[in-house]
Amino acid sequence: MSATGLDLPITGARKRRRPLRRRVAALPGSTLAGGTIVGVIVLGAVLAPVLSPDDPIVGSISQRLFDVGSAGHVLGTDGQGRDILSRLMWGARPTLIAGVLPVLIATLIGTTLGLVAALSGGWPRTAIMRTLDVLYAFPAILLAIAIGAALGPGVLNAIVSLAIVLIAPIARVAEGEVLRVRSADFIESARVSGARWSTISRRHVLPNIAPALTVYCTSLIGLSIVYAAGLSFLGLGVSPPTADWGSMLNDLRQSIYDRPVLSLIPAIAIFLASIGFNLLGDGLRRQLDVNEEVAS
Amino acid sequence: MRGRTIGNAQVENIQLVAADASEALEVTDLRVEFRRGDRMRAVVRGVDFTLRPGRTLVLLGESGSGKSVTARALMRLDGAGANVSGRVGFGETDLLGLPEPVMAGLRGSAIGLVPQDPSGALDPLRKIGKQIAEVLIRHGAAFSPKEAKPQAAELLARVGIPDPPRVLDALPHELSGGMRQRVAIALAIACRPRVLIADEPTTALDVTVQAQVLELFASLCADLKVALLLVTHDVGVARAIGDDVAVMYAGRLVEFGPAREVLDAPAHPYTAGLLDAVPTPGVARGTLRAIPGRPPSPDEPGLDDRCALAPRCRFATAACSEHRPPLAAVGPGRLAACDVVGGRVPRTAPEPEAAAETSTDPTTDAPLEVLS
Amino acid sequence: MPAFLARRILYALPILLGVSVVVFITIKLIPGDPVSTLLGPSATPAAKADLTARLGLNDPLPVQYLHWLWHALQGDLGTSLAMGQPALTLVTKAFGNTMVLLVTALVIATIGGVGFGLVLALRPKSLLARLVGGASLGAISIPQYTVAMLFLLLAVESKAFPVGGMHSTGATGVGDLASHLVLPAVAAALTPMGIVARMFSVAVGEVLAQDFVTNMRARGVRQPAIVRHAVHNALPALLTITGLQVGYLLGGVLFVETIFSWPGIGELVYQAISTRDMALIQAGVLLSAVLLVLVNVVVDTAHAAVDPRVRAA
Repeated sequence: MSATGLDLPITGARKRRRPLRRRVAALPGSTLAGGTIVGVIVLGAVLAPVLSPDDPIVGSISQRLFDVGSAGHVLGTDGQGRDILSRLMWGARPTLIAGVLPVLIATLIGTTLGLVAALSGGWPRTAIMRTLDVLYAFPAILLAIAIGAALGPGVLNAIVSLAIVLIAPIARVAEGEVLRVRSADFIESARVSGARWSTISRRHVLPNIAPALTVYCTSLIGLSIVYAAGLSFLGLGVSPPTADWGSMLNDLRQSIYDRPVLSLIPAIAIFLASIGFNLLGDGLRRQLDVNEEVAS
Repeated sequence: MRGRTIGNAQVENIQLVAADASEALEVTDLRVEFRRGDRMRAVVRGVDFTLRPGRTLVLLGESGSGKSVTARALMRLDGAGANVSGRVGFGETDLLGLPEPVMAGLRGSAIGLVPQDPSGALDPLRKIGKQIAEVLIRHGAAFSPKEAKPQAAELLARVGIPDPPRVLDALPHELSGGMRQRVAIALAIACRPRVLIADEPTTALDVTVQAQVLELFASLCADLKVALLLVTHDVGVARAIGDDVAVMYAGRLVEFGPAREVLDAPAHPYTAGLLDAVPTPGVARGTLRAIPGRPPSPDEPGLDDRCALAPRCRFATAACSEHRPPLAAVGPGRLAACDVVGGRVPRTAPEPEAAAETSTDPTTDAPLEVLS
Repeated sequence: MPAFLARRILYALPILLGVSVVVFITIKLIPGDPVSTLLGPSATPAAKADLTARLGLNDPLPVQYLHWLWHALQGDLGTSLAMGQPALTLVTKAFGNTMVLLVTALVIATIGGVGFGLVLALRPKSLLARLVGGASLGAISIPQYTVAMLFLLLAVESKAFPVGGMHSTGATGVGDLASHLVLPAVAAALTPMGIVARMFSVAVGEVLAQDFVTNMRARGVRQPAIVRHAVHNALPALLTITGLQVGYLLGGVLFVETIFSWPGIGELVYQAISTRDMALIQAGVLLSAVLLVLVNVVVDTAHAAVDPRVRAA
């Protein structure tokens, strides 16, 4: 955990390369598979301007609904004659952002809330945890839809609504972890020796809840991507000509009778992203040796 | 005896009555090893004893001596990772050679087990009456829950539970620890077993309840002519209930004999050490002495070739580390595995505090100190 | 038991109140001035002020909330602008259809999950368990709309199942309903089934590791009976697990309904989003959340019924 990459002197760079490769080779196959899937998707998204074979927005009416494997269009074209592979690559950008960013935001806010609730106790704790109970009472995606629909379509609004939904579970896990750590002997002795709570939480509590919390939040990325694509599928994501996987799924399902296979492409892409991140998260859990119960 | 249903088949041929009725269970060279990684660790290293109807054998030892493993191995309860060898003779039958379904039919009917922790004995969500009925029906002592009920009530009364009908309808968490242990005993004797194995049956109980439960064991032993093997680390329990005592150390018996004789005049330094570690009322302060050091881990090499106690023993000589003394007769009905003390451990006067302190370091534990 | 139920309902009331506050807040999140939206760009300032006053929009927020809650309690959740009917009427009608789908999916998920979970718990090293373990991991990761799309494709290609809707035109029979129900229900059930299987196998495994199981073996109790005891002891956990799936399904069914044109809440919300029909969305979300709170009350009560130790606590 101490190797954050900050301490990487130039002389050390050569030394580190081999152990890293060996460490990667030692990972379980499922983690490697997850890493490969995520790597390919991220690479496709980042390099979309370079790699994408065609324009993702402007199609050609004469090239509508080409099937998979057509010349020049490996994954076919959609109802407006746009190259699906290109849209998939460009569409990975908003999909990934709308999936990952809410988890980051919610982790920040949720951990803070959980920390404050667990360390303060008393009425602040009651207020925070009861409010979270209320958010918890909603089916997750429905709450996101209610907020997203009120705010109106758009990637930013989707991110905000998903982040709000994810805060409650993260804060709960954080609070539980803090309570678990707080009762540990060494914290008790730090308290007895007169350390302040702010010091204790920075020096002792945060480092101790970090592994479990990291694993839990990572495990939410797959779900968050599925939700983000879902919101976009319902029309609460990017605005029309722009591609993202959820809106592509909604576009292509209209042509399920003409080109059934095409309609599956974005659905499978979302599935792959989800399982890729889940496998990575599972690998992380094993690396950090966190109990499965925490992460479920 | 008529044939009974064991497992799924009517088994007629197994001779359940001992050839010699004076033996209920005869254990010969029992060994138990557990797989750990790719090595086997031997926890029980060749144990022999005999259980007789109406008599109680106490298996005495520290935790880690292998006594509980021995008890469970008799019923083959050690699971897939354990390798049990030797012979557990039940009449003409070697229990270790029986197919699992047949063995399962004997558990609870021919051999009963009273567990250490009474709260773990019972299904927490099932009424007591149903759990007793389950065992009675399983072993053919009753055919329906309705028929089992009066039997179950009778059993509860037999183990000293007041108001059996109420307890039959109770759930385990509604009973006290002592009551739960009585129920566990009732379950163990439900089908009139010939052998009863009790693994630290009083350890989890309050002292006052302990005495009552021991009394119950003694009366069951006498009335039902059951052969009782009681595993304990508590010398007081051994003295209270044992007819015979077998003292176990590092997977082997180191001393065996009539309880009173062994506990009054131990023939093995380890037994003497156990006795010295027990606080006795009326004896002056400073006489309490712990056995220095720790029991060896089963992984320690050479345990088969030397006396396992040697590093902790006040009497040890160089010879003790070179060969292992066999369990040999040291008197009528008495066995001990020590070449040095010659059948009787000299009861030294209480050592001065300073000496007692130095003796906690096994390296300074020279026999000279005893001679002085 | 009635006392437990009463206590549990009492505990749920503040949650329900909180739920209503959240739904009210989402109305207030809508950007722009609702009066201008309602009256259009050509409205006079006087007409605007008049409507603002009539809608109570000049009142402080808490007053507005109480006003809204008062109407909500009387069943007035606003009017669907697109369909010109009370939102609650539309939503309640769709809710019945959603329940048909949801309950079917829940039953499939629970039965399948318990079956596969038992395989995982009792024969963890068997080939079947390894297959089930891998499949359940896949099932947990696969979005319900991906499964729904796959199944829709199956229906289109095989022509063995009707492609969408709840009934064929003119038909009303149960058989017709069942044939329409199979694919969406299984599509919705797949992920919860994977979750139930994994969590239930863990619960059963924990029970099997308890001392009382070993001690039952020591009484000669046979394996099938031991499994019965283990399942009985894992029931409280199963209730909790299944209760969680209701929340999951209430969300997931949305997509399945949209893809299979099932005339439920999901379809309704999908259309409401495209027409920005907020009253409908709010009513749908509120009803779903209330249902989920009530399901939790039921689950906890059933939990207490199965495990008397909970009742005492």
